[in-house]
Amino acid sequence: MPDPRIRRWAETLTNYCLYVKPGETVGIYATPLAGPLVEEVYRAVLRAGGHPLVRLSLPELTEVFLKEASDEQLTYVSPVDEALAETLDARLRISSEANVRALANVDPARQALFQRSGGPAARRYREREQEGKFKWCGTLYPTQASAQNAEMSLADFTEFVFEACFLNDDNTAERWRDLGHRQQRYVDWLKGKERVRVVGRDTDLTLSIAGRTFINSDGKRNFPSGEFFTGPVEESVEGTIRYTIPSSISGRVVQDVTLRFHKGEVVEARAVQGQEFLEKMLNIDAGARRVGEFAVGNNFGITRGICNTLFDEKIGGTIHMALGDSYPETGGLNKSALHWDLVCDLRPAAGGGEVWVDDELFLKDGKLMIGA
Amino acid sequence: MADPRLRRWAEVLVRYSVGVSAGDKFMINSAPAAAPLIQEVYREALRVGAHPHVNLALPGLQEIFFKEANEEQLRYVSPIEAMITQEFDATLAIGASVNTRALSNADPAKQAMAAQARRHLQGTFMERQSTGALKWSVTLYPTNAYAQDAEMSLDEFTEFVYGACFLNDDDPVARWKALGKEQQRLVDWLKGKEQVRVVAKETDLTVSIKDRIFINADGQKNFPDGEFFTGPVEDAVNGHVYFGIPATFQGRVVQGIRLRFEQGRVVEATAEQGQELLEKMLGMDEGARRLGEFAFGNNSGITKGIKNILFDEKLGGTIHMALGAGYPDTGAKNQSALHWDMICDLRTGGEVWVDGQLFSKDGKFVI
Repeated sequence: MPDPRIRRWAETLTNYCLYVKPGETVGIYATPLAGPLVEEVYRAVLRAGGHPLVRLSLPELTEVFLKEASDEQLTYVSPVDEALAETLDARLRISSEANVRALANVDPARQALFQRSGGPAARRYREREQEGKFKWCGTLYPTQASAQNAEMSLADFTEFVFEACFLNDDNTAERWRDLGHRQQRYVDWLKGKERVRVVGRDTDLTLSIAGRTFINSDGKRNFPSGEFFTGPVEESVEGTIRYTIPSSISGRVVQDVTLRFHKGEVVEARAVQGQEFLEKMLNIDAGARRVGEFAVGNNFGITRGICNTLFDEKIGGTIHMALGDSYPETGGLNKSALHWDLVCDLRPAAGGGEVWVDDELFLKDGKLMIGA
Repeated sequence: MADPRLRRWAEVLVRYSVGVSAGDKFMINSAPAAAPLIQEVYREALRVGAHPHVNLALPGLQEIFFKEANEEQLRYVSPIEAMITQEFDATLAIGASVNTRALSNADPAKQAMAAQARRHLQGTFMERQSTGALKWSVTLYPTNAYAQDAEMSLDEFTEFVYGACFLNDDDPVARWKALGKEQQRLVDWLKGKEQVRVVAKETDLTVSIKDRIFINADGQKNFPDGEFFTGPVEDAVNGHVYFGIPATFQGRVVQGIRLRFEQGRVVEATAEQGQELLEKMLGMDEGARRLGEFAFGNNSGITKGIKNILFDEKLGGTIHMALGAGYPDTGAKNQSALHWDMICDLRTGGEVWVDGQLFSKDGKFVI
């Protein structure tokens, strides 16, 4: 008998996050480890009148592919992925890994090349999204691997995920709508503002948000969510910032990153752990050295980093910035195969910090200060 | 550490059975339980320069589908599925069920509706495979579910599968080619023949094979293999036949089927167990009442029925016939959403006569 919260989760994903309508085709991407959630989402999509299309991947195959594939095979654009990009009305990705370090020994340059081959399909999804013809959402199903990465037992980690997703509440969607309303007031306040300054331990950074749009992330496209984000004016980023929340991408962990920006570009980059990998990522392409996203984390159900961006970037009282690709709907213009979120902790335990917006104090020591 | 025979299996499947070439769009259809074999097949396909794709079915979803789907959803065929049937160069199906009875309580009418909606794809598949535009193969990965049906332990069943596939041999392909050569001799002999009569327990059936082609199945499209088959002349099947080996359809067992044919059409059908399912399947469409295939099983590594058609129809010393769709490359014209094989055991007292000559007796070829 599965945890009843799994069905609540599936119904929230289907009816709130993706608001599936009759006749819509819904891609459900997961590994077999997420079986219980996949089943319930599949059922919920059918009940909503949609056509669920499950795309399961075997965790081991990515490694085999990256090790065996020729450059031609690596950059091959699959006709299945192309057809899916034309067909899907909605896509749910359920991260459900068996080993988050499985790709630690695979050349990151090959991973980047492989990621870029997804480019044409990814572009098509974005175009259709902007035309209002494509919806997406990402969530995470607790596995031993992600629990281990978070330094928790699977039972504790599962509770952590349910709590961060408001799934202990009878009316999960209502909780997300409430958070969305509160965030909207911040987003409205930020409209028309121009300059942001972040001050904290080893951090003093300014950037421009003039003419850019903040997006209210209220649990529809990320589950959990709780953030509002924009794309900063590309060449405006100046100064230094230290990211103390560990980050994990492409099977590697990078800890305690400090970046110095000049005219929007990273001119100095240090990591206490993962220096070599950090440099490789910065050199993927020209856009990888620029900031594609500036955002405020606002989920106070998430109180600690778990080395997983989906959660870490939402930690209430933090800000994060992504190196690389920007979201066009924010007005961001930066393009890259990379989109790597790094989280700067401004809460008292991390030494505190402040965010100033056009000379008004917006956030202090992890608390939002303006009357919203 | 994986069984080293897994890699051998994958090599045979990719290079011999499917015959995957560089640049081929190659689909691997399976389920998570076959992960060790899928991984090796995927690796081998990359090594030959193909573009492998993996399509995995999560156990449990089909059951939910037949419980929850409305008529529109049952009839829906995704354009992705259609595109794969129309455009891919090669497919491999690796059966890996974790419960062969998971659909026992699914409504057969709903299943038939979903099958009907895919009938045009079945047609495309048959057409493309007959011209060689689509290469395909089917194999089975040992699971406890299949072992349970076979009334064996998983260990015993795994060895049974390796044995039937000649995978204990260093060079399985040579073994398959040798079997193919022996079968070719029989296929050549059958060329130009017209009338087949099967006499066995509760069986006296005549089938016309006039101008039809026997195909030599030697480990390519089915793995394991070991049969030669044709499509009988659709309106020239007469008499009665008893299928003593239990037949299965999507996990459900139908035992002791007796069919009576008149001018190619089933006019009487009884089963000792599973009568209702038998009738539903016969009622699927007009073609479901006619034979699409007539074949000889010839794999001596398979000596008992295991309630799985991939193996059972190859049982050395049996013949089998399929109700429903025929393979166009045999000359068969019958079309249906159904293709259901049933096996008649000849090993004790069965005889097959071809144009008045004794072709097989007690399950052994005598020509």
